[in-house]
Amino acid sequence: MEFAIFLQQLANGLVNGMTYVLIATGLTLVFGVLRIINFAHGEFYMLGAYLTYYAVSLTGMDYLMAAAVATLLVAAIGVLANQFFFWPLRREHEFTILLSSLGLALLMSNGGEVLFGADPKYVSSPFADEIAEFGPVIITQQRVLILLAAAVVLAGVYLLIRYSTLGKMMRATAQNPEGAALSGVNIRWVHIYTFVIACGLAALAGALVGPTAMIFPTVGNWAVLKGFIVVVMGGLGSVTGALIGGLLLGVVESLAGGYISLGFMEAIGYAIIIAVLLWRPQGLFSTARAR
Amino acid sequence: MSARLGRPLQLLGLLLVLVLPLLTGNAYLQHLLVLWLLYALLALSLNVIVGYLGELSFGHAAFFGIGAYTSAILAVDWGLPPGFGLIASGLVAAAFGVAIGYVSLRIVGPQFAILTLGFGAILHTVTNYWVDVTRGPMGISSIPPMSLGPDWLTVEDARGYYYLVLAFLAAFAYACHALKRSRTGRAFEALRENAPLAASLGVDVFRNKLLGFVVATAVAGVAGSLYGHYIRVITPDMMGLQYVAALIIMVIVGGRGTIAGPIVGAAVYVGLLELLREAGSLRLVIFAALLTLSVVFLPGGLVSLVRRTRVSAEAQQGEGR
Repeated sequence: MEFAIFLQQLANGLVNGMTYVLIATGLTLVFGVLRIINFAHGEFYMLGAYLTYYAVSLTGMDYLMAAAVATLLVAAIGVLANQFFFWPLRREHEFTILLSSLGLALLMSNGGEVLFGADPKYVSSPFADEIAEFGPVIITQQRVLILLAAAVVLAGVYLLIRYSTLGKMMRATAQNPEGAALSGVNIRWVHIYTFVIACGLAALAGALVGPTAMIFPTVGNWAVLKGFIVVVMGGLGSVTGALIGGLLLGVVESLAGGYISLGFMEAIGYAIIIAVLLWRPQGLFSTARAR
Repeated sequence: MSARLGRPLQLLGLLLVLVLPLLTGNAYLQHLLVLWLLYALLALSLNVIVGYLGELSFGHAAFFGIGAYTSAILAVDWGLPPGFGLIASGLVAAAFGVAIGYVSLRIVGPQFAILTLGFGAILHTVTNYWVDVTRGPMGISSIPPMSLGPDWLTVEDARGYYYLVLAFLAAFAYACHALKRSRTGRAFEALRENAPLAASLGVDVFRNKLLGFVVATAVAGVAGSLYGHYIRVITPDMMGLQYVAALIIMVIVGGRGTIAGPIVGAAVYVGLLELLREAGSLRLVIFAALLTLSVVFLPGGLVSLVRRTRVSAEAQQGEGR
């Protein structure tokens, strides 16, 4: 019985962790490839959740279809954000970019409050109330969907980065933008594709998590915070770090919530990170500069 | 020219700040003035990290909260005099500053910013959930007014708080001014501009950064204590991202690295927040736009405008001759 509870907590933690990985992978890609800290990353998560909500409730679209449409739309919005915001600032100091992305984040979350209203909303999904049993572990089908969709999409992104020409261009840009440009890599397209992938992943996370929790316009703050914490723990710029860090945070939070205290769940998760950082200040798989 | 005109201008400004609360009997306006000075003190402390050390801290509101909670808990639960809490809040915030600075100052640049954001989030979450000590989201209410001992040294009204906070602000502003000319101030400047070069000249980069960080956090703690005793109610919200963003807006829009900048920035923030009250949620959109525009087009902040016009005026005069 005890063991069954442990398995249940582990499963819940893995599902939560998977959403963290979805959020953090985009964040770490944008930093690793383009050296941009995108404070507005969480807002794309928020947009993903809201667009899914409106697609379902206004057009009566099927939930899965709505999630896909929302993801694509937000990826397109990511292209716009890059076009009008990050691309023109690319030669500025990193603090300028960081601060203006903070401006963009405030702009989007408060703009969201004006557009969508401050009251929380629920995304309805046919999978939210159905359960699936795996031996002693019982989880909702929505959470199974989160796990599966995230695994498939993330595997796709890893393969893309590892083997495709685009992935090679991205890695070349990450190592040395000037060198990449000199050898014929179109940096502009690398910028655009990276934002498409990053914003798409964040939106997908929002669309998937939407039915399991309330959504509100400031939910992006939560998302970007989780993303940052995972990324700092895993090492800023490392995709593997985002995967390990995200799953670790999800599982630790879930176990701490189950065995110690539900209220302190998040704080204990953060405490683990401090422990990791005391040991490795630059994160587990880091590319960070030491002092 | 600028010195001849600048000095009386500064004196006039000082005089204005001194008599400002006497000019209005309106309690609400006086309240806004106190808020302005509190934010100014807080922004000036953040400015030590952002302007002098050249690092962005996204966790500064947490130290503000630590100060406020320390002072409030000591006064409400332990029944200690608020004057004691004022000192304790600075010390406790500094202790947290040492611990957090010691871990995060090993990393520079954007990573440092994110790390401080994470620490701020931890402190915020703990404050929110540690109900036994902090009373959770309900916050602590009926905090006694600030008092330095006997009854006649108890500050009750907004005017009193104005002068109390002004004294702290003036002392800290003077300290910042003195710091800039001191050996430590020059070390800060050197490590901000080029840390490896500063290290090669014998500046202990890590220790100097830690020193600046801890001073900033201690002052934020004191500001938190003053805030708590003035407002009388504190909630974990004061450690949230909204406050972090607000503080950064004040420092950047006002002008980082200067003394007048954060004070002006705080005035702009408090003033605009009131003027735009009608606009509701839109006002934060306006602040966001202000931040972005300022970062991109006016990196020196509003204060640099004055310098710019002064320089161009001098240039014109020079040509005229």
